[in-house]
Amino acid sequence: MSGGTGGPIRRPASVRRLVAIGVTLVVLLSPFLWLLQMSFKSNDLILQFPPPLIFTPTLQNYAALWQGAFPASFVNSLMSASFSTALALILGVPAAYALSRWAGRGKHALSFAILVTRMAPPIAFTIPFFLFYRWIGLLDTVTGLVLVYTSFNLPLVIWMMQPFFETVPQSLEEAALVDGASTRIVFLEIVLPMVTPGIAATAILCFLYAWNDFFFALILTRTNARTAPVAVVNFMNYEGWEWGKIAAGGSLVMAPVLIFSLAVRRYLVSGLTAGAVKG
Amino acid sequence: MSGKGLVDAERRRFNRLALAPSLIVLFMIAGLPAIYLVMTSLTPFQLINPGSSTDFSSPLRNYRLLPDDPRFVNSLWVQAKLSFWGVLFQVLLGMLLALLLHTQSRVVEFARTFFLIPMVLPPIVVAIIWKLIYTPDISPLYYAASLLNIAMPSLTSSVDFALTAIIIADTWEWLPFTFLMVLAALQTIPDEFSEAALVDGASRLQIFFYITLPFITPILVISGMFRLIDSVKAFPLVFLLTGGGPGSVTEVTNYYAYLLAFDFNEIGYSSAVTIVMLLLVVAVSLGVVWMGRRREAMV
Repeated sequence: MSGGTGGPIRRPASVRRLVAIGVTLVVLLSPFLWLLQMSFKSNDLILQFPPPLIFTPTLQNYAALWQGAFPASFVNSLMSASFSTALALILGVPAAYALSRWAGRGKHALSFAILVTRMAPPIAFTIPFFLFYRWIGLLDTVTGLVLVYTSFNLPLVIWMMQPFFETVPQSLEEAALVDGASTRIVFLEIVLPMVTPGIAATAILCFLYAWNDFFFALILTRTNARTAPVAVVNFMNYEGWEWGKIAAGGSLVMAPVLIFSLAVRRYLVSGLTAGAVKG
Repeated sequence: MSGKGLVDAERRRFNRLALAPSLIVLFMIAGLPAIYLVMTSLTPFQLINPGSSTDFSSPLRNYRLLPDDPRFVNSLWVQAKLSFWGVLFQVLLGMLLALLLHTQSRVVEFARTFFLIPMVLPPIVVAIIWKLIYTPDISPLYYAASLLNIAMPSLTSSVDFALTAIIIADTWEWLPFTFLMVLAALQTIPDEFSEAALVDGASRLQIFFYITLPFITPILVISGMFRLIDSVKAFPLVFLLTGGGPGSVTEVTNYYAYLLAFDFNEIGYSSAVTIVMLLLVVAVSLGVVWMGRRREAMV
């Protein structure tokens, strides 16, 4: 954006504006920071007001989590998110490539179907999946979660990957085809290596969507396949409002999200608006 | 000629092979469930009464019950209030934030990333964060109020404030989304317009209302519609902060459908509620696509 500055003239930021931005940032993030600092406090300290500005941070909440059932639920989250991401990529990447090179009829209808899958409230999928899983015995399994998560990750992959394929110059592919290479070879050895960054960004977004899920896991799991978000909420129901553990659990659940999403912030919007606005 | 024909045929075969697995899987994990949902909505299916899952004797019964179900009608009204105020605040505040951060500075560009944090947090963590803020014993908000000698009611269990409490949390969570979209739109406005206006002696307010605002209006509408669609999904906030209460003050349609299916075991009726919700979402989605096309045609 070096050429156009745009809009309400973009001059270098004045001190007044910088101060305003700083204050807004602190105010906006204060609820989030409150959770974070709470996770390093003992339960006595959490109830103490006025809150001490300086306190000795303790890891006892995290240690308590480590000894309970929380690590198992963390592993469940990790597995269901990773496997559904892998499945969605394996199926979706070739499909996105084919769609990006295909101008046939039905493309708009397909795009709209993908948009609807993305927009549908989770409960619309939960009822059928719940009944079906109850019948074939997939309730409370990681496999069950992987399948559900693929139902929203696959459309996301197909949507997100198309623009990346469109940036690969077709002349490159044509040259290879003239030399006698098959489309499969061209796709695997010429096109795929050129869109690796796109695949990485898409993979991270898929992982985040599955990781962030609460609703499906709440209904489709009980104890065996319980994911980390559900486990954290259970601290509220059964173990008598252990605020320290709740805060520490919440912090652990958001940690991978914060790290990954800052890495793909450029693609956040196109992932969220998949369907109607060109990212 | 025949060589080209061969290449084309090979290409088509590849396309079919590449697309087929995805289409089959999508049909199985999205298409079939949708069909199943429609069918269930035509039965009086209750989990405790397995035979009822195939009882199609009175297919429209559930849909006929809907208009006279006060809890369903109330849930639509609650949803409308939540969506309206949530979207309004998100679009307005997101726009203001974008205007504030639309400036040339390395520091500000770096700071932008941190403004996105609420949006990328797992929704359940957002709900936990606001649970902490709204719980009097441990909340800095209540402590600050007590310092100022204000007796604050328990927000999430008050008939008057429970929905407002959820709207505040929802706005906090999604403000970064409208902010990002408006900022992207601001960056596409050509300089010449505002420069020419400045030369002509226009005030900054005039530039905003006559140049900036018309430029970003489409994106305000589109981002608002996206938020409108997603506001139907608001579940973790309601689940954790109020549980739909007090009474049914914060019981949105999504939450009512959840209670019906998984608390009251009324699977058939819940499916009908879900179908109605789905139709509303599809209608708004069509609107978004139409807006997007029109915008592309304009540019």
